[in-house]
Amino acid sequence: MLKLIILITLFITLNAEEPISPIPLEIDYNKEKALLGKKLFFDPILSKDKSTSCLSCHNVFDGGADSRNVSVGFEKRKGNIQSPTVLNAKYNFVQFWNGRAEDLKEQANGPLTNPNEHNMNPKIIEKVINNSISYKKEFNKVFHVNYVNYKLILEAIVEFEKALTTPNARFDKYLRGEINLTNIEEKGYKLFKHYGCITCHNGVNIGGNSFQKMGIFTDYINDNKYPDRSDITHNVLDKNVFKVPTLRNITKTAPYFHDASAKTLEIAIHSMSKHNLGIIIPDEDIKYIIRFLESLTGEQPKILDEI
Amino acid sequence: MKISKLLFIFIITGILSFIAIINFYFIQKDFTQKHKEFLININNLENSYADITNLILKNSIYVYINQDNIAITNKQLKQNFKKLQNSEILRDSSYADVKVNVDYLQKCMEESLQNVEIFLRINASVKNSLLFLSRHVEDAKILEDYDQKELLKARIILKHFNDTKKLQDLIYVTNKDYLLKSESTNKNVQRYIEDFNIHSNFLMANYPSFINITKKILENKARHQRIHMIKEEFSEISLHDFKALDKFATFLFTLFFFSFLTIIILLIKYQRENRKLQETYSSLEYSHTYDQLTELYNRRKFELDIEDQNKFKNPSLIIVNINDFRYINDIYGNDIGNILLKEFSKFIENQIEKFYESSIYRLDGDEFGIIFNNLNQNRILNIANNLEQSIINNSFIINNIKLEVRVNIAINNVKPILENADLALKQIKKSNKSNIGIFDEEQHLKQNVEENMKMVQTIKEALLDNRIIPFFQPIINLQASKIEKYEALVRLRLNDGTILQPFQFLEIAQKSSQYHEITKIMIEKTILVAIKYPKYRFSINMSMQDISDYKITDMLFNLLEKYKDTNAKIDIELLESEHLNDIKVVKKFIKKLHTYGSYILVDDFGTGYSNFSYFSELDIDIVKIDGSIVKEITNNKRKFHMLKSIKEFANGMDIKTVSEFVETKEIAQKLKSIGATYAQGYYFSEPLEQPLDDDKVVI
Repeated sequence: MLKLIILITLFITLNAEEPISPIPLEIDYNKEKALLGKKLFFDPILSKDKSTSCLSCHNVFDGGADSRNVSVGFEKRKGNIQSPTVLNAKYNFVQFWNGRAEDLKEQANGPLTNPNEHNMNPKIIEKVINNSISYKKEFNKVFHVNYVNYKLILEAIVEFEKALTTPNARFDKYLRGEINLTNIEEKGYKLFKHYGCITCHNGVNIGGNSFQKMGIFTDYINDNKYPDRSDITHNVLDKNVFKVPTLRNITKTAPYFHDASAKTLEIAIHSMSKHNLGIIIPDEDIKYIIRFLESLTGEQPKILDEI
Repeated sequence: MKISKLLFIFIITGILSFIAIINFYFIQKDFTQKHKEFLININNLENSYADITNLILKNSIYVYINQDNIAITNKQLKQNFKKLQNSEILRDSSYADVKVNVDYLQKCMEESLQNVEIFLRINASVKNSLLFLSRHVEDAKILEDYDQKELLKARIILKHFNDTKKLQDLIYVTNKDYLLKSESTNKNVQRYIEDFNIHSNFLMANYPSFINITKKILENKARHQRIHMIKEEFSEISLHDFKALDKFATFLFTLFFFSFLTIIILLIKYQRENRKLQETYSSLEYSHTYDQLTELYNRRKFELDIEDQNKFKNPSLIIVNINDFRYINDIYGNDIGNILLKEFSKFIENQIEKFYESSIYRLDGDEFGIIFNNLNQNRILNIANNLEQSIINNSFIINNIKLEVRVNIAINNVKPILENADLALKQIKKSNKSNIGIFDEEQHLKQNVEENMKMVQTIKEALLDNRIIPFFQPIINLQASKIEKYEALVRLRLNDGTILQPFQFLEIAQKSSQYHEITKIMIEKTILVAIKYPKYRFSINMSMQDISDYKITDMLFNLLEKYKDTNAKIDIELLESEHLNDIKVVKKFIKKLHTYGSYILVDDFGTGYSNFSYFSELDIDIVKIDGSIVKEITNNKRKFHMLKSIKEFANGMDIKTVSEFVETKEIAQKLKSIGATYAQGYYFSEPLEQPLDDDKVVI
């Protein structure tokens, strides 16, 4: 009961503030593990033909996503969905477009074992890492083990991903009262709320905390079969339902939507408002909103500068 | 012995129950922990549900809201459920029903999570559409200008939509005309209406499921009932478990305290018995060293001192014997006799005191021994003469009676010192020439050899003529006033009918090969008599040396085996000696004897080598309390106390006692009054040639 009361008070106070919260400046992770994870993340040794690393489709230096419509992995095979950004992924409530992974560890296992991506299996990965003297040495240093098992490999990668946050976006600074937004940005934010984008794009990741259907007011038609929420729930009503993506660093993660159908933010906003808000937002307002979205681009994760 | 065994058992029980209590404490703690864990888990689950309900309510009210917390709370719900499901107590089979219900809750939870997901989806669009319509109607300048009627309608429709959401009641939107329609040809009017209708349509289509899903989340009766059921079921089972634990705890604590109390009681008892034993020991120790009456050293002490090479390097002994002391007793009574002995002892002590290297002993009733060290024969003879003279010159006045005491004094320094002195004393008495005599070795040897040779011949003839015979002295059960046993005693009958006592021939027989034959005859004849008198038990004397002699024991067991199917009841009386070299042999003997239903008696307990430690080691049935104690219980408190102590001590170990040398009625009655079981002695009967047919006895 006490917990409930605390929660209620907490919520009332929170609610008086903005529905978007800034990325914490202090994040909790084990640096040794994260740096080892970084090495693994960057290393194509983790794919069957040694062509693909995690970095191949998640360019952490520029948005953390893939600029290609679908990612290309093992033997140049193509993926079946647009690669979502790995930046701030730890703030998403579930992983993948359709939420099939509960957390980052479960997620990391996905691409590694996907035949179209890294095309590995845990045993082979263990073998590759244990055959590498330098990896063995580092794992021994960090985890104090003689044999590196798959769980530890995932743990290291996940630790790195936990460090991939982009704090200090202009908007975050504004939320913290450190700076003022420009009039244009501020107007964009007001429109963002006014048109109802905020209803789904809220929270620390400005999205990433709920599922939503593509095409509520007008159907969103796409010929390709994408793995949506119904793949998990086997419910017809969940067709075309996806996780609401984050809008952080959105200017760097084009193309947009799961099907990469929106090449620009203008198109994306236009499409979203038409299908999901039942509104046609004037081009002029879209421009304001984009200026607001630009203020969501944060600093590069510090871990990328660390060796 | 019994107490220590009991003590051991209860200490073990105590320790075991204590360990069980400790163990039980941990089990109970563990159980309580698990119990608490489960209750906490189920409360946490309920809390998570309450949190979600609260967040959903807020989300439906506020337009702009951060939904992160819903996602977080959903995760918490899942975690809390997993914790509940993994509650350790559910692994216990008695909670299987609870587990089934908990597992069922999983369905409820999955449904809840799905409902939340659906709610968030519909809620977002419903909120947006309602917001859009509100602003659209506010910003309706175009309708104001062109179609006031539709503007009014738009406001009514919006009101209905708002009411529906606020009141969560579909009645406001059923069968209502909810779309705008205008005759106006103005493009902007039509565009306005088109926008309005898109959202109006959307709300009409989605309100039912929105309200439905909201209600589903807010009032989940099935889940509430299920949780309630789990709680009830759980507390019922756990109450039962706690009660069982309580009972077990009570049992363990009772057992523990019972053992504890018993141990204390037993320890106290043990302590008491120990003290009694100590007392008996010390009084025995005193009586082993000192003569009770005269407080001089006693005969045992004399024997020890003689054996001790360091005490007297060059000893000479004089024996002072009071002439005709028996008559003093007969004429003046035992009391006067005893006082005289005391006075006489003091007198000798005073006379001898100045010769420091000497000790005085009371060797027998009227016989005193004095050992001198490093004194030549002449000096000793001088002392003896002086002593005799001073005794003659002294009158002992007791109770106004003047007593004249005459003594014979024997002197000897030849080993064996006492035996030779005795011989000298006998010589004095026989010759009647002088009152003082010195042992003459040469003369003695001559005489001795002659006598021995004669005795060997006598025994030989007696064996041939079947004149080795057992005599039987009855042993009386004092409480039942009847004869229960006989002690068989060896006798040798001479041709003229004179009966020889064992001390007169047995020692010589032992040195020849005749001893074995005598023992055999004794056993066999006793058995034959025992067959004739099946109502009595018969005991045969054997020494420790006899038991160590396998020829004798084999013979005994052969005879017992031979007559085993008769109704003869044969017991063995062990004569103690210092020759108890191998206690294992004795133990083995006793064990084997017991298989024939025979008892083992220990003779002469309370003097000589009788030792309490025998009794812890040997499985003895009866002890015979020595005559030197029994004889004096009516006039010597110390002896009476000793007898009682021995009796109680024996009782405590389930050993019966026989009091020997009961010579007067008083002694017999005193023994009977303190509950002594058996007695024998001249008061009842001297040894007889045949057991009596009538077993009745008057005490």
